[in-house]
Amino acid sequence: MAKEDRKELVIIGAGPGGYAAAFHAADLGIKVTLIDPEVNPGGVCLYQGCIPSKALLHLAKTKEEAMHASKWGIKFEEPKIDIKKVAGWKEKVVKKLTEGLGQLSEARDIEYIQGKAKFTGEHKLEVTNNKGKTSDLSFEKVIIATGSSAVGLPDLEIDHDKIWDATDALELKEIPKKLLVVGGGYIGLELGSVYAALGTKVSIAEMTPGFLPGTDRDLVKVFEKNEPFKDVFFETKVEEVKITKKGVKVSLKGKKEEQNKKFDRVLVAVGRKPNTQNLGLKKLGISANEKGFLEVDNKRRTKLEHVFAIGDITGEPMLAHKASHEGRITAEVIAGKKGAAYDPKVIPAIVFTNPELAWCGLTEEEAKEKDKNVKVVKFPWSASGRAISIGENTGLTKLLIDKETEVILGGAVAGKNAGSLIPEIALAIEMGSTASDLSLTIHPHPTLSETIMESAELFYGGATHYKKA
Amino acid sequence: MAKEIKVPQISEGVDTAVISEILVSKGDKIEEDQSVISVETDKATAEIPATAGGTIKEIKVSEGDEVSVGDVIIILEDNGDDSEEKEEDESDKEEETSEDNKEEAEKEQEEPDSDEKEKDESKSAKKEEEQKEDKEEDEDEDDEEDAAEEDDEKKKSKGSEAKKDKDTDEDSSKEVYASPGVRRLARELGVNLEEISGSGESGRITEKDVKEYKEGGSKKSSSGQAKLPDFSKWGAVENKPLNNIKKTTAKNVLASWQSIPHVFQFGEADISGVETYIEDHKEKVEEAGGKLTLTAILTKIVATALHKFPTFNASIDMDKEEMILKKYVNINIAVATEDGLLVPVIKNADQKSIKDLSVEISEIAEKAREQKLSKEDMEGGNFSISNLGGIGGTNFTPIVYHPQVAILGISRATTKPVYIDGKFEPRSILPLSLSYDHRLIDGADGAGFMNWLVKALEDPYEALLG
Repeated sequence: MAKEDRKELVIIGAGPGGYAAAFHAADLGIKVTLIDPEVNPGGVCLYQGCIPSKALLHLAKTKEEAMHASKWGIKFEEPKIDIKKVAGWKEKVVKKLTEGLGQLSEARDIEYIQGKAKFTGEHKLEVTNNKGKTSDLSFEKVIIATGSSAVGLPDLEIDHDKIWDATDALELKEIPKKLLVVGGGYIGLELGSVYAALGTKVSIAEMTPGFLPGTDRDLVKVFEKNEPFKDVFFETKVEEVKITKKGVKVSLKGKKEEQNKKFDRVLVAVGRKPNTQNLGLKKLGISANEKGFLEVDNKRRTKLEHVFAIGDITGEPMLAHKASHEGRITAEVIAGKKGAAYDPKVIPAIVFTNPELAWCGLTEEEAKEKDKNVKVVKFPWSASGRAISIGENTGLTKLLIDKETEVILGGAVAGKNAGSLIPEIALAIEMGSTASDLSLTIHPHPTLSETIMESAELFYGGATHYKKA
Repeated sequence: MAKEIKVPQISEGVDTAVISEILVSKGDKIEEDQSVISVETDKATAEIPATAGGTIKEIKVSEGDEVSVGDVIIILEDNGDDSEEKEEDESDKEEETSEDNKEEAEKEQEEPDSDEKEKDESKSAKKEEEQKEDKEEDEDEDDEEDAAEEDDEKKKSKGSEAKKDKDTDEDSSKEVYASPGVRRLARELGVNLEEISGSGESGRITEKDVKEYKEGGSKKSSSGQAKLPDFSKWGAVENKPLNNIKKTTAKNVLASWQSIPHVFQFGEADISGVETYIEDHKEKVEEAGGKLTLTAILTKIVATALHKFPTFNASIDMDKEEMILKKYVNINIAVATEDGLLVPVIKNADQKSIKDLSVEISEIAEKAREQKLSKEDMEGGNFSISNLGGIGGTNFTPIVYHPQVAILGISRATTKPVYIDGKFEPRSILPLSLSYDHRLIDGADGAGFMNWLVKALEDPYEALLG
C-alpha cells in the first residue's frame, strides 16, 4: 500500500512548461519531484507535437525545394519515399531529445516519477503508475502543468484507424492516397502539408471562410498562393461519416451544397482543450473556468497560495514557449524572487507551413478594435534581393507602429524562415523600440532580416529597395 | 446599457480629483446639469454637473475616492423595462446624436454596428451555455474517462475559440515602454512604472530611470528627514491625511526652497498718511462693492514698482541660461482658508485703479475661502503678496513662489515714536519683508525695490517723480 513522503515541490506534467519549471527550480536550490506518464520529460511537444511535426515538415520542405529547383536548372527525379525510414528518423529525433531531457533531469537530482497524479487533498496526491499501482505523497507546493489534448467532433469519433487525431498522423504508419483534414488551423495545415509532401492528395474542410481563423489575412494570402492541397472546402462542416472497408465516406455540408466524398483517412484537427479534468481539483478546492482553464495571477498562482498552474491550462495561446516561460517564472516565484512575474508584451506564434507564417504583438484587427493610432507598413519580399535569390518573392514582412511615439507594437512575417525572423520583432516590442531603432540597426546583407529594417524605413517614407506607388 | 455620468475635464491640465462630497443618492431623480458630486483638485473645488437626467441606479464612487477624467461616477436607470433595455438605449443614443454636437455623432459612427452587437449577444448566450455545461462537468469531474470524452465532444467548439491570455490583454490606458529586465527591476524595487516619465526615446523607461525614481521617491517620502519616531510612545496622537491643498503647497514650497537661493530684505514704512487715505476713501470703495485695504494699495504700488524694476517681474531659465521678462503684471495675493493657503492671481494689476483692485481682491478672496477658484484664477502670476498684518507679528520671511522670483510679506503696523523735526511723534510703522531669488536679483536691486515701496507708501508723489 501507499507510503507517504512530504515533497518540497511537486510538478505535475513534464512538458515544456513542467520541465522548464523543474529544471529552473532545481537550479535555484529547490528539491523537485516531477510526475509524468512518459519515460522521460518532453510532453506532447516532444513526443507528439512540435518536435516530430517539425522533423517531418523539414523533410517536406526539403522535397519541395528539391522539386522546385528544376525550374532553375537542377532537375531531380521524383523522390522515392521510404516511410519506415522516415518514421524511424523522426523517432530517433524524439528519442534523442527526450532522453537528453531525462539526463538533464537526472543531473539536477530531480525525482522523476512515471505515472499520473490526482489530488486527494490540499497537500496530498495519489500517483498511479503505468501498471495501475497507486502511491500517495504529500507536498508543500505544487505546479500543475498538465497541458492540453486534442478535441474531437461529435459525429466523428476518432478510432485511431481510419479517423485520426494529430498523434496518429505523426505516427506515420502509412501514406494514404486521399486524406481529409478537418480543421484549417495551424495543426491541420502543418500535418496536411506533411502528407501532401509525402504524396497524399490532401483536402481541407474548414468551418470558417478561410485558413487560420483569427490570423492576419495578409499572411494567409501568402500561404494561399502556395498551398499544397488538392481541395479546400471553406464554410464547410462534416455532416456525416461512414466508415467502409476501404475508407471513409464523408458528406461535406457547405454554404450552398452538400457533397459526398471518399477519402482513405480523415484527420481531425479542430483544436485542443486544457487537461484540467480527472485531476481531483475538487479536492484542492479549485475549479476550472467555463473554458476549462485554471485562473492564475501574474505569479501563476491559483487562488491557493501553494498551488501554481502554467502552460496550456492557464489559457490561450496554448504554445510551448509560453509554457516554458511561465515555468521558469513560477520557479523563481517559488524560490522567492521578488521581481518574478509573468508580464510578456508579446507571445510570438508560428505556423510551420511552407511558406512559414509568424506574428507577434498587436494585429491589424486588434488595432482597429482598440482604436489604436498605428501605421501599418508592409514590405513585399519581391523587393528583397535575398528573397528573390532563393525564390521566395511572394513573402511579406509587416510592422504595426504607433504613429505618435513611433514604438513598434506588432509585426508579422510570411515566407521562408519567417519563424526565425519574428523574434527580432518580439525583442523590439519587448524593449519598447521605435521604428528608428530598427531602421538604424545595420542588418546583414543579403538576408531576409533586411525586410524588417526596410519595413521600419517605410514608416518614414521610402525604403531603400521599395517605394510605395 | 444604461446612461453613465463620467468625470468631465475639470479644468485644463487637471486630470484627477478627490471626491469631497456626493450631493445625490441612489434612487434620486436628477436633471441634466444638476450638480451631483463635488470634487477637490490640486487647488480648487468644483461641482460636477450631470450630463444627463434620470433616476440614479448606482453611484460608483464614494467620498475620498480619487477619480480621473472619464471615470464613471453615476449610472442612471433606463426609462423602459428591462426587456426593452437595448432598444431603449439605442433610441436614446440616436436622440443624443441628433441633439448633441457633431463630435458625438462621429463617435457614434465609430461604434460597432448592430451586426457586431448581435455577435456579442450570441457570444454571451454561448457563455451561459458553457457555464451550464461547466456545472455538469464539475459534478462529473471525478467520473471515469468515458464521461470526460463525452465532454470533449461537447467542447469541440470551445477549443478552437481563440482567447487571449488575461495578463497580456490588459488594456491599460497608458502604454509603458520598458524592457523586460527593467520591468522586472521595477517589480523588485516596488516601483510603479506608470509613474515614471522615461528618459529614453518616446518615453522609454531605462534601468537608470527606475533606480533614480526609487532613490528620489524614497528621498521625497522622507522629505530629507530622518525616519519619524513613534510619537504615540509619548502620548496620544491622531493621524490625519493631508488634503490636496496642503499636499500641493508642501510640494511647491519644498521645491521653491530647494531650488531658489533666497535673500531676505526688510524695510519699514510710515503709513500714517496711507491710513488717513484709507479712512477718507473707504466709503467710496464700499459703495463699489470692495474693501479698501492696505493690500489693495500695496498691490497698486507693487504693480507700479514692477515696471520700474523689471527683474522682479521675471523668471529665470537656467537650462537656456536666460531670464524671461514679462510684459504684463499679474500679482498673486495669498489667502488663508480653512483648508490651507491659496494664491489667486489679480491679472493686469498695473492697469487697474485702487478701487477696482479693492473690489477684485475682496471678490477673489471670498471665492478662495469658498473654494470656488478655477484653475485660471490661479495661473499666470508674476509676483506675490502675502499680508499677515491682520494676524500680527513683527516680520516674517515668505518663500518665493517658484517660478516667480520675489514675494512681498506684510506684517502688522504698530504705532511707534518717530523722531521728526527735533521731536518724537507717534507714527504708524509698517514692517515689510521682501524675499527674492538671488540668481536674478542682486542685493542692491533688492534694497532699491524695498526703498521704492517705502517711499511710495510715505510720499507717492516723490516716488513717482522718478
